[in-house]
Amino acid sequence: MTVTFSREPLNLVNLHSRKYSGLVNEKAIGVVPAPNGGVTLLTKKDATKHSNKPASVINSTTFGPNTQPRKTYAGIVNSTAKKYYRPDLRKAAVARASAIKLSQRAKKDKAPAKPRGKKAVVASS
Amino acid sequence: MSTRPTVSVLSAEGKPVGSAPLPYVFKAPIRPDIVQAVHTGMAKNKRQAYAVSEKAGHQTSAESWGTGRAVARIPRVSGGGTHRAGQAAFGNQCRSGRMFAPTKVWRKWHVKINLNEKRYATASAIAASSVTSLVLARGHRVSQVPELPLVLSTSSLSTPLAKTRDAVTLLKGLGAYPDVVKVVKSRKLRAGKGKLRGRRHRQRRGPLVIYNPEVEGAKAFVRAFRNIPGVETCSVKALNLLQLAPGGHLGRFIVWTDSAFEALNEVYGSSTEPAALKKNYLLPQATVTNADIARLINSSEVQGVCRAAKGGALQKRGGKAGVQKKNPLKNKQVLLRLNPYAATFAKEKLGSIKIEGKPEKVYTVGSAFKETLNQD
Repeated sequence: MTVTFSREPLNLVNLHSRKYSGLVNEKAIGVVPAPNGGVTLLTKKDATKHSNKPASVINSTTFGPNTQPRKTYAGIVNSTAKKYYRPDLRKAAVARASAIKLSQRAKKDKAPAKPRGKKAVVASS
Repeated sequence: MSTRPTVSVLSAEGKPVGSAPLPYVFKAPIRPDIVQAVHTGMAKNKRQAYAVSEKAGHQTSAESWGTGRAVARIPRVSGGGTHRAGQAAFGNQCRSGRMFAPTKVWRKWHVKINLNEKRYATASAIAASSVTSLVLARGHRVSQVPELPLVLSTSSLSTPLAKTRDAVTLLKGLGAYPDVVKVVKSRKLRAGKGKLRGRRHRQRRGPLVIYNPEVEGAKAFVRAFRNIPGVETCSVKALNLLQLAPGGHLGRFIVWTDSAFEALNEVYGSSTEPAALKKNYLLPQATVTNADIARLINSSEVQGVCRAAKGGALQKRGGKAGVQKKNPLKNKQVLLRLNPYAATFAKEKLGSIKIEGKPEKVYTVGSAFKETLNQD
């Protein structure tokens, strides 16, 4: 099986498919990392008015770096799935936001190795 | 839609300065099949003839040795004193032989395409250029463009466009520059021999700027754009499918000048008014104006004249054929429908009642009869 990928911003799983495409669907959700941390939620405006206006078709909401993950996910779900805006994408949207949040976490330093046995003796002396 | 849609005409900064009615070509049916077929044909019309030399593989006086010398009867080069002598010749399987079915310059290089088909394809490609998703799907970076179709008011320019620098600022103002950046970034050295044949680099296609040649300063306009990578210019009067749908893929990003945009009705007419610049040409019409068939069926107009669905609940679930078959031995409800007595039968546990009283004696064969039977 070959998998075709997609890089559109309005594609939650980066898969080229009817369901996740941001081009063919009148309503679509995108979750992208915000430039200075945090997550930006993208949705499409009313297609009847904006379908031929690429610059103004996208609505974006940013959940800043200090927004707790749970609040971020709740914000995403409350403004989309709970308003009957692509409820089928709820899980994918939250998963993507979660993945972005995870990637933005500061990396922990590796704990220094605790030498044992002979190495410990050498280190202490 | 009862009123004709309008498109805003933009200034060089991308601000709307007016509006123009959408020309009828943009309502032409979008037919990727026709566009592809016409593109395939048109792309062949620029080919140059090539062939192997007529003499190749035949510049020797080889003759077959005939049978009897334990070698194949293929013609062999005569003479001696060189390695070539005695080697097989002519055949396509031979070293230094002629190729199989040598190519000829009189191959059919060009393809005739029906005029109406070509016009259909062009109209289709123009219509597709106004659909944002098709333009995006073709790979053009148009997410910063205020509107598609993108119409530029040339009269709002302070001076007629003549410098490339001005053309670049213009594209930036219209939000079309990211597409040029894409082209610049995409420039790669071509793989293969094409490098030596004047096709050194490959790059994407950028915006296509369509102008009206009758407007003054059109020549300078073309010059201003021609050194921007990927940007092409074309006159409305001579639109070319190879530019409107490169590779046969619909949705080229087009920047129209207002004069060119207004000329479109003159060039293509509508589906009822013949085009002024073509002979008896009417634009093709879509067979169905609304392709959303589900929406049509569920519309109040259609539903209003339909009678109510016949039959009861059974049919509502999709009629006799649509109902899933249930096993009456396992599904109680289906069993009861078939056998109403089953309820009483189960309730009174008739199935597990033991038979009362002594069972009737089974008749056995008498010994006297057996003896008579077994006599010798």
